[in-house]
Amino acid sequence: MLQFVLKRLVQGLLVVLAVTSIVFVVTRMVGDPVALMLPLSASDAQRTEFSAAIGLDKPLLQQYLRFLGDIATLDFGDSLWQRRPAINVVAERLPNTLLLISAGLGTAVVLSIPLGAIAALRPGGMVDRITVSAGLLGLAMPQFWLGLMFIMIFAVKLKWLPTSGMGTPAHLVLPALTLALTPLARFTMMVRAAMIDELNKPYIKTARAKGLTLPRILRVHTLRNILVPFLSISGWELITALSGYTVVVETVFAWPGLGLTAVQAIQRGDLFLMQAIVFVIAFLVVLIGIAMDIVAKAIDPRMELN
Amino acid sequence: MSVLRPVKRAVAGLLLGTVLAAPVWAQPIVIAIGSEPSTLDPQLRDDGGERAVNDNIYETLMARTPTGELVPGLAAAAPTQVDATTWQFKLRDGVKFHNGEPFNADAVVASVARIIDPANKSEQIAYLETIEGATKVDDLTVNVTTKGPDPILPSRMYWMKIIPPGYATSGDLAGAPVGTGPYKFDSWNRGTDLKLVANADYWDGAPQIAEVTYRFVPEPGTRLSGLTAGEFDLITSLLPEFTTSVPKFAAVPGLETSVIVLGTDNEVTKDPKVREALNLAIDRNAMAEGMFMGYATVAKGTHVNPAAFGYNANLEPYAYDPERARALIKEAGAEGRPLVLVGESGRWLKDREQIEAVAAYWGETGLAVQTEIQEFSQYLDSLMGDGPRPDAIFIANSNELLDADREMSYIYHKDGKASSNSNAEMAAMIDAARSETDVAKRQGLYEQVQKMGRDLNYTVPLFNLNDIYGMSERLDWKPRVDAKLMVKEMKVTE
Repeated sequence: MLQFVLKRLVQGLLVVLAVTSIVFVVTRMVGDPVALMLPLSASDAQRTEFSAAIGLDKPLLQQYLRFLGDIATLDFGDSLWQRRPAINVVAERLPNTLLLISAGLGTAVVLSIPLGAIAALRPGGMVDRITVSAGLLGLAMPQFWLGLMFIMIFAVKLKWLPTSGMGTPAHLVLPALTLALTPLARFTMMVRAAMIDELNKPYIKTARAKGLTLPRILRVHTLRNILVPFLSISGWELITALSGYTVVVETVFAWPGLGLTAVQAIQRGDLFLMQAIVFVIAFLVVLIGIAMDIVAKAIDPRMELN
Repeated sequence: MSVLRPVKRAVAGLLLGTVLAAPVWAQPIVIAIGSEPSTLDPQLRDDGGERAVNDNIYETLMARTPTGELVPGLAAAAPTQVDATTWQFKLRDGVKFHNGEPFNADAVVASVARIIDPANKSEQIAYLETIEGATKVDDLTVNVTTKGPDPILPSRMYWMKIIPPGYATSGDLAGAPVGTGPYKFDSWNRGTDLKLVANADYWDGAPQIAEVTYRFVPEPGTRLSGLTAGEFDLITSLLPEFTTSVPKFAAVPGLETSVIVLGTDNEVTKDPKVREALNLAIDRNAMAEGMFMGYATVAKGTHVNPAAFGYNANLEPYAYDPERARALIKEAGAEGRPLVLVGESGRWLKDREQIEAVAAYWGETGLAVQTEIQEFSQYLDSLMGDGPRPDAIFIANSNELLDADREMSYIYHKDGKASSNSNAEMAAMIDAARSETDVAKRQGLYEQVQKMGRDLNYTVPLFNLNDIYGMSERLDWKPRVDAKLMVKEMKVTE
């Protein structure tokens, strides 16, 4: 087990290094950050000076070696936009993103298990058909649109909740729901399919013949069996949320997390902040992957760890 | 009679008395802005978010009225010229910074010294680069000296915010600013909001609105929803098509003028007939109505802002004459010849739409017009880089100092950053105007340059764009031509 964890950690670090290196190259290829950062009125002398101040006048290889040395100490340089260490900006915004993702995915997990289980009890029945249709709808709806719809209905028309920002628990409700919907649909469909599959297996018939009640069968046997696939799909959703969903949801709801910051960093050509964000996200994604493997092994020791 | 009645009456009276006695300004408002300030230091960055906030905390020696007229601010009167390169400012007496430091000559000298110090790398230096320094004459008199004759110095001082010298060295200007203005810094939740409170000791009387919160909402749709839901009192950059769906809105001609600069040395556009055709081919009125729903004014033959000093009000807008345009292209033998219109997308109001509409009109003349929408930094390189000039390039030109010098030296002067001509005569006139201290002569020179530019069709001026603001029912405010969000000019009616 220890050997496995170490091996995965080394692999993970290589992935993180590869991703950040790609970002390093790409940020230096798409446009001139100096032109983006300085106002239109800046003089040529200012541009040259600024370029030298942030090290962009050096050969690419030299920049890259310095970059590698710096990230080893988590020094990503100063954000060009905020003029303070990029890693501080990331450290300030990351908890907001994690809060949003926990609320969103937590809601999806909590609701999907009973919804999927109830639908699976009578495949093809009314509840099942409604669940499947709603699930497909949930998968098909773009979150950008969904977020705006939620704002229109619950904030603008009904005035129940605030439209945007962060501060009170009420501010969390709409962005978390928007974030939850796609994973909720996916989880529910997954739980439903796995339950239907499990319920048709001979051991269930045996258990029922032995006089066990359905809730007990579900709780003790079935749920445990679907836990591993459920875990892997939620790990995947967590990764998708971290690297994708939050960008859209945070932008729509002006939620001051890492996704919104990434959009602003790109708009402003802030390559140092972009590098820091990509590094931290890549690192988290790798870490989640390893954690998922370990937890899966703990639940089901038969699993091969490769 | 119920024994309670007198009590009720007393309570009612007390409540009414409290309401009447409460200061009228006890009203908080919320303004949603698209970008968060990167720093609150008022002298280092050239950043819209910072300005939106700091315009209310800090003041400048010269100010502007909402219509753009230059008036004394922290200066007691308009400056007087001691000699060609020295301007003397008398300062307002009895003004204090929010931390109690006095506003005086030392504060002005320190502010000038700090902003022009190369070590501070101020991005605002482009507005102030002619300044050599400032010296104290007495406690309330300062001489500002320039490197050469600089008639725009008073306008420049409208840009430079005055900082408290003591706090600037020991305090945190970037995180907790201290000015002389009508509002004091209260708090800043990074990423979310920033709060200012009224300065009850403000020298020009306490403002009506007690508290203003700035919310940072980058997505325009979300800003609009927040306004409609009643969370915000003011949003900027409202699209013309949404003017009907907000509680209230206000529009004012702003600082930006959209213009296309023509490459007068390029193969096709070097022919004056072609350039004239390009100006005559566009139905600007139809575009102003269709695209901006009337919230844009057709530019009158020049790209200089009508509120700026030096504007030539006698020029006529280019007519829409597609027949004549086609004939001119034919005469020039340019039918079927290629012309590339370079632009960008998403940076300025309806930029892409304007570029595409113009290209379509130009296509009607018989030229083979292509548009090239570039990524912004590539576009900046096309606009200001050392490479060959584009045939035609779209710019939304802004003039923060409200002086024609900016548009002249930027677009018309042969060495200007965004200029596409090599006309030495025009450049000499612009240079002469730049150091001309006689106001009337300077105005005359600028009028001449604009006339020349119009006759030679060096540019295709399109529109003076309006700034449109969405407002809550209760907010009473008239927007300013310089786009500043001055909270002291706002009132709340309940």
